[in-house]
Amino acid sequence: QSAQLRGVVKNEADQAGIPNVTVSLASNGSESSTTTDLRGNFVLNIPAGIGSKPFQLTVSSIGFEKKQITIEPGQASITILLKAGNSDVLDNVVVTALGVKKERKAVAYAVTEVKGSEFTQARENNIANALTGKIAGVNAAGLSTGPGGSSRVTIRGNGSLNGDNQPLYVINGMPIDNSVPGGAPTVNGITFNVDRGDGIAGINPDDIESISVLKGGTAAALYGSRAANGVILITTKKGRTQRGIGVEYNSTYTMENVAVIPDFQYEYGQGAQGVKPTTLAASQASGRFSWGSKIDGSKDYVGVDGKTHPYEAQKKNLQNFYQTGTTFTNTIAFTGGTDKFNFRFSAADLNSKGILPNTTYKRKTFNLSVNSKLSDKLSIEAIAQYNLEEGNNRTMAGDALGNPNWTPLEIANTADVRWLDPGYDANGNETIWNDVAIASNGYFVRNKWQEKDRKNRFIGQADISYELVKNLVFKGSISRDFYNYNYMHVMPTGTLYTPNGEYAGLKSDVSETNAMITASYKTSLAGIIGVSAMVGANSRKFNNDQLNLSGRNFTIPYYYSFSNLSTASTTPYNGRITTNSVFGSVDFDYKNLFFITLTGREDWFSTLSAKNNHIFYPSVGGTFILSDAVNLPSFFNFAKLRGSWAKVGGGAPDPYAINLTYSNVPSSGPALLNVTSNNISNPNLKPYTSTTYEAGIELQMLKNRLGLDFTFYNRKTTNDIVNTAISSTSGYNNVILNVGELGNKGIEVLLTGKPVAGKFSWNVSYNVAYNNSEVIQLAPGLKSIQIANTVGNWCFLNHIEGKPFGTLVGTRMVKDDDGNTVFNATTGLPVVSPLQELGNSVAPLTMGLTNEFRYKDFSFSFLLDGKFGNKVFSIFELYATRMGKLKSTLPGRENGLELKGVDQAGNPYSRTVSVANLRPYYDNYKTYSELFLHDGSFVKLRQVILSYNIPVSKIKILKIQAASLSFVARNLAILYRQTDNFDPEQSFTNSNAQGFESIGLPRTRSYGLNLGIKL
Amino acid sequence: TVVPQFVFTKAQYDGASNMLPLFLGHMQYTTSYNDVAGFGSKYVTNQSSQTAAAFSRAYPNEINEIGIVIKAVKDDAGKVNMLAAAKIWRVYCFSRLTDLYGDIPYFQAGLGYDSTLYKPAYDPQKDIYANLLAELESAVQIFDASKTTFGTSDLMYGGNIDKWKKFAYSLMLRLGMRMTKVDAALARTWVTKAIAGGVIMQDGDIAKIAYIGTGQDINKNPLVFNLWNSDYIAQNGSTNTEGGKYQDVFINYLKSTKDPRLPVFSVVWVNGAPSTDTAIQKGMPATFINIKPSNFVTYSEPNPKTVLLMGSPLLLYTAAESYFLLAEAALRGWYTGATASSLYRNGIEAAMRQWAIIAGSAGEIATTDINNYVANNSLNTGGTFDQQMQQIYTQFWVSIFPDGQEVFATFRRTGYPALVPNNYPGNATGGKFFRRGLYPLSEQNLNAESYKAAVSRQGSDEFLTRIWWDK
Repeated sequence: QSAQLRGVVKNEADQAGIPNVTVSLASNGSESSTTTDLRGNFVLNIPAGIGSKPFQLTVSSIGFEKKQITIEPGQASITILLKAGNSDVLDNVVVTALGVKKERKAVAYAVTEVKGSEFTQARENNIANALTGKIAGVNAAGLSTGPGGSSRVTIRGNGSLNGDNQPLYVINGMPIDNSVPGGAPTVNGITFNVDRGDGIAGINPDDIESISVLKGGTAAALYGSRAANGVILITTKKGRTQRGIGVEYNSTYTMENVAVIPDFQYEYGQGAQGVKPTTLAASQASGRFSWGSKIDGSKDYVGVDGKTHPYEAQKKNLQNFYQTGTTFTNTIAFTGGTDKFNFRFSAADLNSKGILPNTTYKRKTFNLSVNSKLSDKLSIEAIAQYNLEEGNNRTMAGDALGNPNWTPLEIANTADVRWLDPGYDANGNETIWNDVAIASNGYFVRNKWQEKDRKNRFIGQADISYELVKNLVFKGSISRDFYNYNYMHVMPTGTLYTPNGEYAGLKSDVSETNAMITASYKTSLAGIIGVSAMVGANSRKFNNDQLNLSGRNFTIPYYYSFSNLSTASTTPYNGRITTNSVFGSVDFDYKNLFFITLTGREDWFSTLSAKNNHIFYPSVGGTFILSDAVNLPSFFNFAKLRGSWAKVGGGAPDPYAINLTYSNVPSSGPALLNVTSNNISNPNLKPYTSTTYEAGIELQMLKNRLGLDFTFYNRKTTNDIVNTAISSTSGYNNVILNVGELGNKGIEVLLTGKPVAGKFSWNVSYNVAYNNSEVIQLAPGLKSIQIANTVGNWCFLNHIEGKPFGTLVGTRMVKDDDGNTVFNATTGLPVVSPLQELGNSVAPLTMGLTNEFRYKDFSFSFLLDGKFGNKVFSIFELYATRMGKLKSTLPGRENGLELKGVDQAGNPYSRTVSVANLRPYYDNYKTYSELFLHDGSFVKLRQVILSYNIPVSKIKILKIQAASLSFVARNLAILYRQTDNFDPEQSFTNSNAQGFESIGLPRTRSYGLNLGIKL
Repeated sequence: TVVPQFVFTKAQYDGASNMLPLFLGHMQYTTSYNDVAGFGSKYVTNQSSQTAAAFSRAYPNEINEIGIVIKAVKDDAGKVNMLAAAKIWRVYCFSRLTDLYGDIPYFQAGLGYDSTLYKPAYDPQKDIYANLLAELESAVQIFDASKTTFGTSDLMYGGNIDKWKKFAYSLMLRLGMRMTKVDAALARTWVTKAIAGGVIMQDGDIAKIAYIGTGQDINKNPLVFNLWNSDYIAQNGSTNTEGGKYQDVFINYLKSTKDPRLPVFSVVWVNGAPSTDTAIQKGMPATFINIKPSNFVTYSEPNPKTVLLMGSPLLLYTAAESYFLLAEAALRGWYTGATASSLYRNGIEAAMRQWAIIAGSAGEIATTDINNYVANNSLNTGGTFDQQMQQIYTQFWVSIFPDGQEVFATFRRTGYPALVPNNYPGNATGGKFFRRGLYPLSEQNLNAESYKAAVSRQGSDEFLTRIWWDK
């Protein structure tokens, strides 16, 4: 004889009912468990035999502290109050693929969930940056490209030699677009080489309820081809049944400053051949050369402003050139609802000024979420988000022309960068500050160059679900992420290098549309084996219609319009991808001790030829709750073993990869035709596959005060689509092949502890991951392929068989067996070695340590994170060496540089480089890559947050439910690094071309205040 | 689908534009006070990779394109004239390349798409030359006046078969003469064949590509486009982008011989206006160590009305070149159709006339000036063979300007003009003229085995290594 327990679960703070709470029997949830409806009401069946004595219920919901409640025999109803809480590993429900919520103990792979509040506190414009250091195996980094910039996130290493290797971002179960309009900037780019921001940068942290990171194949298998690199599932905040309208307001103001000042030499100042400039012409000729005389304070030194200055070190050029950047964010959200209808609407405004004056980024986001239960069987849910993102004067990096960062970094060390201000003359033309026009005057760039971009983005989602019979639910979802993007970049009239100017523009319409239907059914066999099954189908359409505008020579000077160019061309590109899929999964559980999940998915790709355009991928996973099955020593509270295996099809290539195509070439005269690209296409391409198996153990010990989550994984990519550079003598520069093999295996450890609990509490969380990647095979006869190269080919990034993903390759100074430098007697210069491996561009070891202290209404937390074992090649240092700014260029300044070594025949060799010829000698150092290569390891104090919960309950008159004030700081200090002159995270592209420092914006530390109020 | 005509036009543009302007500096026409642009005249070590640019550009562009054209027409009996012209054009493109680098991928080149050949072998220059000459010989045989041609898609001759034949024989003369040092007998064979076939001797037969001065960059004279954008766009004589000017060697020579081409070639900016006054023309020395000289504006630079005309044709093979090569053939006794001295005079006259072809009236040189000049600069027929060679190829140097790359080839072969190399601090050659360009660094990375085989056969990948016909 079974009985029923009726109840309601409410939020302790506002007494509003909480939907979607799992209520289950603590002893054996599979026998009875239920979830609350939209008003928080539930009905739980109590199996016969249980209700005769007191028993325990487990009550849990995302965002709330889990609770255990004792029910007395005969009790028929209960009101349960839950407290909103922080991330708690004991939360027993997690969001998994397709937005399905699952009990944590049934999950057969490592999954990490982070509460939205953690992102809100971090106050990164791009929420992906806030993942840094938080999750074992997730390697996240923001770029040095100013506000509105992109992020690079990789999970468990780089899985594909050529794919972008970033995870799929999914909001409320539906994928969004994360592309960078016009593509990521390149390491060796020039002129209009900017990072235009990725898709995830448009998501407002204040709208996020939680983020689940699905790290591996098994977790992501249901998402198919694009999930091979993991999935980041974002659940946005929804409306709740409550009395009245809830209002939340959040305001943040942060400031940022240059964090790393290079360690320059300040012994010899501006000048050439050991002589300081005493005329304007000499000063202009040596504006970037610190090859002058000893810095002695003498008074006859003339700067590029034509004035006389004391010949003194100028150590504040970076601080003087850059300003304090600011970001002011305001979000207001309204929530409300009845038992039939709930909504949440938020509007947010982000206004950011970069550290480079005139650089701004503005983002307005509007998010409306509604859900309605039309009947007991039918419910609908819809989300509409509109973004307006506007960037202004995003900063270039890479080579010199138009890169403003060049000026403060490469200007002579006795010149004050402000002498160059404003960078233009009375006519508006660039003023000369150095010997080559290509090294732009940074003030001219920031004052006269123009970059403007505007992205209008709309994300719409609608779900409808219908429960045909009990436990059989049909659901249809459709989502569309659409943006239109307008970009223009002007190199103005009067630019020294290009007096008549240039123009680049991009207009693109990108859309990602997904339509999905699923049917799911839940039942139990003999009351012992729980079964739930789901089948579904998805159709994805991705469109990218873009128009590239470019031209040169403004006919009417200083008038910047595309129609005012004497030479102009427009190049359209249309890329369309359709992927159709069917998928299904079955979950079994046996007495809540064993759980097994099977999934399968088949994808069909439009970008492949018909004979091999589809692929099936299965996965299987199981967990075993050891602590429930056997009696463990009492200090174990919980023990779970898990294991899984999955095969995931990797992405099919971009359009136009299978057939050779021809395009007309813009011509003002005769008709011209050529192959569309110098990539050799391949009709036999098929999707690559990524196979992962992983095993792990989760332990809770010492009354849940100590937790351990350990995972081992092995991920292997086969048939990888390799777009490799080939010898241009083949007539082509690249070929696309289907032959790569790449392995990533590693371990992830998460240790959590509560050393102190009670009124004063201390929580610690430490995560560490080691990923060992290996390029197993490229192509027959191919031992190495090139991914990127720097300006001047000073360093390359290659994939090399037998080495980790992304190996830096360059030259060294040749030494003989005794360590003597070998000189070429003809040139008198050290012999350059052939190209060789210099190191790994991706850090294999990553870790993060979070400490959180709470006392009454105060909390204090800090996050340390570190990455170890990679190398960085510095283009800035290479130039600073050529310009005589680094300490390594000091030898020989007084009496010439004595060189000693051997010649190529092995005979002793010596000569002295005169002071006058020191510059050409050191200038030639650029041919030896190793001189600018550094260990990229670091430990950073990534985040510090001090919060105070204002005790508003005492101020009843204001009707404020909650308020908090926080001091937030990001990237406060680098505690350990091996790069004296730059931040080792100084990357400016989110492509695979990592491992290069490219004279981007300096990295910054930021700090500010955050105020949150709930009415 | 492929329309071979349109791809052929693209290949003509690309082949003609694939030049290394640094040879203007190397042959001491121009220089720059800065190191980057002054590389040609100063051999600054760290700019060495500039010499690899023509190699990197050639294969994915004109070589691949001409391959596409040949593939599209070779099995169509109605398109034999297209096939012949394409083959001749391919010889032109490859000959420019091998003359710069020596051994290069030839037989296996450009087959990446058709034959999945991603690492072509480098072929010995000797074999390449043998094939280039054979290709010319066979190509002229397959022309058929009754069949269709490229017509207006042919930028050089508009499909004129007779002119194509002359161009082919002229290339044969050029390439045949290249071999005088390494195999005089072989050289004689081909030179004789070429002369018998009929080479370009009339102004109307000159091989040239016509350009348009405005619109898309690809339609502009590529050499002018380069000079304009890398240096002379400001048109004030002062803020030249990369610090370029004429080198003193060139201007001094023109002045010393009272060459009427001096005002055609050269201007000095005075008070914001270009002046062709010969008295003030002055070339810049190649000795400035990356520091702009204070009197920079007073040095001569290319005349915007002639040398810098964006819409002017680029001359690829001139009547003057034929005459000078024939003069040498006459000296060697390989040609008896005219005397060396009259051929020499014809060469000078043709060279002076060609500036009107390039620049119209601004390039026109009065007949009296031409006559005066040839009267004062006749071939010293009483001198030794060497002395006469010096005269011919010094005149060749002035006459072929601005095709520094072709002059570089005859300079290596004959030793003339007798230029004195600059010994710039930290130069890559120990103060010697370099003899070849370096292979791209990427070849070491992407085509390592083939590269190594070439280097072990030809000698190290350095500037002073001599290529086959320069040994």
